[in-house]
Amino acid sequence: MSKFIRVDMASKAVKIEECPEQYAGLAGRALTSIFVANEVKPTCHPLGKYNKLVFAPGFLTGTSAANSGRLSCGAKSPLTGGIKESNSGGTFAQKMSKMDIKAIVFEGIPEEDKFYVVKVTMDGVTIEEAPAAIIGMGNYEAIKVLQAQYGPKVGVGIVGPAGEMRLTAANISFADPQSNIRSAGRGGLGAVMGSKKIKAVVIDDTGAGAVAIANPEEFKAASKRFTNALTTHPVTGQGLPKYGTNILVNILNEAGGLPTKNFRSGRNEWANNIGGETMAATIEARKGKTTHGCHAGCIIRCSQQYNDKDEKYLTSGFEYETIWALGANACVDDLDAIAYADREFDDVGVDSIEVSVTVGVAMEAGIIPWGDAKAMLELIQEIRKGTPLGRIVGSGAGALGQMYGLTRVPVVKNQAIPAYDPRAVKGVGLTYATTPMGADHTAGYAVATNILKVGGFVDPLGKAGQVELSRNLQIATAAVDSTGMCLFIAFAILDIADGFNALVEMINARYNLALTGDDVVALGKTILKAERGFNQQAGFTNAHDRLPEFFEEKCAPHDVTWDFTDAEIDEVFNF
Amino acid sequence: MPAMIELRAFMGLADTFRERNWDNPKTVAVTGEMTGEEFLAMLDLSPDAVEVFFVNGKAFTPDLAVVTGGDRVALAPQGVPGPYRVLLGFKKMG
Ligand code: SF4
Repeated sequence: MSKFIRVDMASKAVKIEECPEQYAGLAGRALTSIFVANEVKPTCHPLGKYNKLVFAPGFLTGTSAANSGRLSCGAKSPLTGGIKESNSGGTFAQKMSKMDIKAIVFEGIPEEDKFYVVKVTMDGVTIEEAPAAIIGMGNYEAIKVLQAQYGPKVGVGIVGPAGEMRLTAANISFADPQSNIRSAGRGGLGAVMGSKKIKAVVIDDTGAGAVAIANPEEFKAASKRFTNALTTHPVTGQGLPKYGTNILVNILNEAGGLPTKNFRSGRNEWANNIGGETMAATIEARKGKTTHGCHAGCIIRCSQQYNDKDEKYLTSGFEYETIWALGANACVDDLDAIAYADREFDDVGVDSIEVSVTVGVAMEAGIIPWGDAKAMLELIQEIRKGTPLGRIVGSGAGALGQMYGLTRVPVVKNQAIPAYDPRAVKGVGLTYATTPMGADHTAGYAVATNILKVGGFVDPLGKAGQVELSRNLQIATAAVDSTGMCLFIAFAILDIADGFNALVEMINARYNLALTGDDVVALGKTILKAERGFNQQAGFTNAHDRLPEFFEEKCAPHDVTWDFTDAEIDEVFNF
Repeated sequence: MPAMIELRAFMGLADTFRERNWDNPKTVAVTGEMTGEEFLAMLDLSPDAVEVFFVNGKAFTPDLAVVTGGDRVALAPQGVPGPYRVLLGFKKMG
């Protein structure tokens, strides 16, 4: 029976119990969200003693299934005030699964002002004082210190200086196979971990066996079909490995949905300078790597190694959303400057989407000039110093907008709106408005055409069909987020029906179940309802499912506006 | 009278442009209206290499696209990540 671990940071008591019945059939986002809905007081202060932080690997994590190494982290978000699930690559999740740990829950708050390292091994869990050297240290260096102390192969989940300061844009970073950084970025979960005085969680799977598979032959056959879907599809087999997600810059710019200058326009003239094609050429010229996996077993490998001009490693996991937010939305036409910013986000431990959008809002406020790369980097570096301005920047776009009395602040439920203009890509706008997570493009990401009948033509500029599309995307995504699969598998299963069937069959073979596609859809709905129920009890109403009113302005080049009525928006969650 | 189209190419098609020593964006002269397929044939590009044919920011399949002088046109091959192919209307394009 799988282990369920509770770590009480107030008393330092650790309870390792059999997974309670109610969570036994859950994993990933299904487990974290239903756990938070069951056990966290919805009205609690997210940084107070009643909030709980939970880590859970997905259904297939730790198996040989391709791309199955994601870890879900859940809690009440200090950024949105609602429920949060944020997931990450890295080595942590696979080790948890191999050790047969269903979830680790961190509860309570120590009275003393000290940071701790929680160490998880096959022998149990210990709580040790964090090495003084890593307090205030950047994540890259701190991971090295921890792996020198606890073993070079241990998994590490860590908060950077931003998490120590409990800033609401703080993330939780996880070491990847090369000891670089992947993050559970959104929603300020690093602040929750920091509030519990946990500097890092170290996991050592020495002595753990392989993940048990109930029907190994069936698993192997389904896994082969699944891999085949990923490798033969042009997106997961060619597009992403070569260009990463940044391929979207030119595409969104062409479609008129690339928000520019704090969402004033959907197109700009310099997009190609920061786009995926230019990035891939730069990486090749500097002997970096255009393709890299954020965890063992990733065969899509959308990540990369971006080197500086001297061919030295600068950053990886350099994603479209960060490049958009600084490059287009803040008008910084300089890929290298954006790469330095991305590295600083990882090192100080903040959500690169939240803080990049905040930089645009800082330009709106006149704190720094539009497009000024040097001023942008200096502003971001204020976070590490803990100056009043740095703390505001590290608290996100909503906080900065409030401090400066702005109305042009692109947030929903206080979380920054990402890289797709909701006026020109209306389906994603409905997802920003209604997802229980606060504005989040990945909340409506997974497409399972065969199951959900998504995929018919929708005009991105029109309203027809968008409510159903957003609803179905959110349901499918909630289910995929529970498998431990990277969401990018959705790119292939959109077109290859057998890929989706193989995914369900792998889950069945792993646990000896007989789930159907309908069960997976039902799971997605259950998760969304639990999340929305939590938010309602925390005080959220339909009135919170709205975009900022500046989206009523026309967006060039298509001159479209955000024109959904409240009643239309409220239909998304009518299921 | 020929008129000009401003043409862009993305992903692998950008490599094709580079290999042919074409600018990107490239200016292409056209006379009157052309279908997307005629336009690609004129450029010696296979319609199979093009999933998305943007005309003035709207997505079409090559057989349904119509171009004329003054248009802004862009070509993308297969490979645009899935949700966007739905959200941007590339799946079953009108
Ligand atoms: S496709 Fe990208 S995000 Fe997904 S697991 Fe691989 S490297 Fe990580």
